[in-house]
Amino acid sequence: MATLEATRRRSVPPPTLDPRARERMERAFHVPRARFLVGAAAAIVIVLWSARGAEFDFLKLGEGAGSMAEFVVRMFPPDFSKMDTILLLLVETLQMAIVGTVLGAGLSLFVAFGAASTIAPAWLYYPCRWTMNVIRALPDLVIALMFVSAVGLGPFAGILAMTIGSIGSIGKIFAEAMEAVDRGPLTAMESVGASRRQVIQYGILPQALPMLTSYTLLLFEGNVRGATILGLVGAGGIGLELTTAMNRYDYGHLLAMVLCIIVLVTIIDQASAIIRKRIT
Amino acid sequence: MTTATVLREPAVAAPRPAQPHVHVRDLTVRYAAQDPLVLDGVHLDLFPGEMVALLGASGSGKSTLMKTLTGFAPVTSGTVRVGDTDLTALRRGQLRTLRSDVGQVFQQFNLIGRLSVLTNVLTGSLHRAGAVNLLGTFRGADRRRALALLDRVGIAHKADAEARTLSGGQQQRVAIARALMQEPTLILADEPVASLDPTMSRTVLELLQSIAREEKIPVLVSLHVLPLALDHSDRIVGLRHGEIVVSGRTDELDADHLAPVYEVDAAEGEEE
Repeated sequence: MATLEATRRRSVPPPTLDPRARERMERAFHVPRARFLVGAAAAIVIVLWSARGAEFDFLKLGEGAGSMAEFVVRMFPPDFSKMDTILLLLVETLQMAIVGTVLGAGLSLFVAFGAASTIAPAWLYYPCRWTMNVIRALPDLVIALMFVSAVGLGPFAGILAMTIGSIGSIGKIFAEAMEAVDRGPLTAMESVGASRRQVIQYGILPQALPMLTSYTLLLFEGNVRGATILGLVGAGGIGLELTTAMNRYDYGHLLAMVLCIIVLVTIIDQASAIIRKRIT
Repeated sequence: MTTATVLREPAVAAPRPAQPHVHVRDLTVRYAAQDPLVLDGVHLDLFPGEMVALLGASGSGKSTLMKTLTGFAPVTSGTVRVGDTDLTALRRGQLRTLRSDVGQVFQQFNLIGRLSVLTNVLTGSLHRAGAVNLLGTFRGADRRRALALLDRVGIAHKADAEARTLSGGQQQRVAIARALMQEPTLILADEPVASLDPTMSRTVLELLQSIAREEKIPVLVSLHVLPLALDHSDRIVGLRHGEIVVSGRTDELDADHLAPVYEVDAAEGEEE
């Protein structure tokens, strides 16, 4: 039978740090590693190449500053004489954003189940990811034009554009939020013999819910701003009125609309922040 | 290879059912063909009503042994039987049924922090809820049972609170209630007190031991603290390098007997 004395831990020299590694770590300054230097140089070259290709020019911006200031001055004072029209269009924009967000978030959630590697099998995962990539690659205005030609001018086309656009943007984030949940509770669910659906319902969704809600609010904010753009192609909202004001050089009315949009977006942003704080 | 220290059963042993509920013979486990054996020739019997402490250093195979009892680890060779079920012959769907009979308690509790304590306990009944709870509803009978179990573990006053607001000891008691909700025929507790303070550790182990006796089910609990194992178990099984090196009744064991479990040789020391 083994005794305590016989089995007492034998003394072994403790593991030591390599002296050269110790010396390197003790130095206040050390030369960056080669891979860092190469990576930094490559990043600088890519940024300069991109700036040149995109004709990025600070001098040109400086030269045009006067014209820009002149444009801004021309917008003052804001003209609130058509406030009733502005408010009606803002409400329509808000309504588009609400319906577009609810439909978009709902559809995104379903696609996200298929696009989460921890939930979906490979035969579903890849098609869902590809679908989201294709939607993301399409500009919002192109999607809006497609729906304008399908259902005619008006907010309905805008809502459909927002809904589909949401799948590309928020669907991917939803899927990643579901992939990132703690595995421990899921193991516990599997241990009690829960089905796949039950693991998602009681393990994944409750854990991912704060993130899903937070991203949905972000989507809503984005859709309110987006709805102002979609009007440019006749897809409803305040965007068409913005374009018209610009074309007619009605800058006072334009500034009044911009100020109203800023107020609306700020209110939504503050409300979203309060909700996010409560749920996280 | 270390020789197992298997103590004789005492002349007047506590009454014990003739048939073990868990029967493991010559169990070897290897995760991949090129990997070393994680468990090597393990024999283990667990009888209804007893609490068995599984001791062993990190990497000794304790968690793997527990996983084999629920089909979460592959059985390379040997026999593993839980109740009347031979685990080595089960398919995936059948494993779900087996798992629903085995309550598990984890080191990190594995509760859903945002769900209420009551709902966490109710998730222990998911295997029999079927499509009924599609909308997040559970039967009244299950709810009454869950509340009764929360009474039993002394945490019913927190039934409506979110699980994440509870202390570690309280969360572990909720996890035990969730395991009991399954109406298990076996409870496996993998280092259930490793995250708890000494007082709460004893409370949780006393609870597990009382469950073993009152429900007449075997409870296998892996531990690192020797005094806790000696005070709160009926038998102790010691693993080292995947082999059982000590096995016997707790009242016949002391620190000397259990020393081989934590013996560290020179090679291990250099690896640390």
